[in-house]
Amino acid sequence: MAPGKQKVLSKEEELLLQDFSRSVSKKSSALFYGNAFIVSAIPIWLFWRIHLMDPMKSALLFAAITLASSWLVAFAYRNTKFVLKHKVALKREEAITREINKKFADDKKMSKKEKDDRILWKKNEVADYEATTFSIFYNNALFLALIIVISCYILKSFSPSMNYTLSVGLASGLIALLSTGSQ
Amino acid sequence: MRLVWALGSWLVLACLSLADDVSPARLLVAKRLLNNMLVEGKDLLVQYGLYNVGGQAGLDVRLIDLGFPPDDFEHVVGEHSVRFTAWMWPSTLKAAFSGGNVTYNVVVRPRSYGYYNFTAAQVTYLPTEESTQIQVGYSSHPGQYGILSSKDYERRYSPHVMDWGAFALMCIPTLAIPYLLFYKSASKYQALMKHSKRQ
Repeated sequence: MAPGKQKVLSKEEELLLQDFSRSVSKKSSALFYGNAFIVSAIPIWLFWRIHLMDPMKSALLFAAITLASSWLVAFAYRNTKFVLKHKVALKREEAITREINKKFADDKKMSKKEKDDRILWKKNEVADYEATTFSIFYNNALFLALIIVISCYILKSFSPSMNYTLSVGLASGLIALLSTGSQ
Repeated sequence: MRLVWALGSWLVLACLSLADDVSPARLLVAKRLLNNMLVEGKDLLVQYGLYNVGGQAGLDVRLIDLGFPPDDFEHVVGEHSVRFTAWMWPSTLKAAFSGGNVTYNVVVRPRSYGYYNFTAAQVTYLPTEESTQIQVGYSSHPGQYGILSSKDYERRYSPHVMDWGAFALMCIPTLAIPYLLFYKSASKYQALMKHSKRQ
């Protein structure tokens, strides 16, 4: 492409790009950050009630760690979703093709190209939905399990504030790191 | 008759000489903390054991322990008939019989945490019935003990059943909702695949 010239992308190309890119829509992004914030805030209860940290005295620490952890968890959601989306798309391809073909079997006016576009769109939608929900579930489960193991077993002799900082930091850091794998 | 008289005289003399040899009461006092762990705001059981190793009964025995000032300890259980003053809690035991022992328990609650030196209690008594001079003695002294803060104790030993239950309730929606949404979609397409394969 010559410099200075901007090529306008077609709808198909945009769909294809969206399919292969790591970037997520604003709606997905809001969903990821909202979920990440909720799951990152849950350990506050654990450290307030069980490790007996004073919530008022530790408010700043709680806020800072929760925000940092939310960003890391949302990062893990995005990466896991990207890896899962292709796997789910391959798995569901046949079923979606059959579903669309069955649905428009009587519609003689619809061209093959239009049908293929619908299959592609539906496949992208289903893969996106399943990858998003599974990514949230998987990362939440891993994060909460790591929090319990690290805070109650590995770092139980540490002071509560150090325990909180390290366990939430390690748990969110670890799921973010694991999400960068391609398998 | 003369023989009976001689025997009686001998017995009276023997009894009198024995009475002269009976040593006065001697009280040994042991002060023990019966708890395995001393915790701020939790009951601490203190046991005093008084053992009379003398030959006579000790009279008007008073046990005074100044080691639990009300600023540091809350008095919970002691002898109810005893008057409790601001800086001492005395116990009056009418008599400690020869060769006998008495135990006396007190329950206190530490008001603060940290190391605390548990000192000896004082015991006063009359060593003989005729004696007018009060004998003063001291118990064993338990020494320095660490009192755990209630916060540390709760953190280490409390099961926190309700708190863990609430934690589980908070975790369930973050796991169950995304999994159910995924499962609903996945099972729909898996069922569709199975159905079409059968056909």
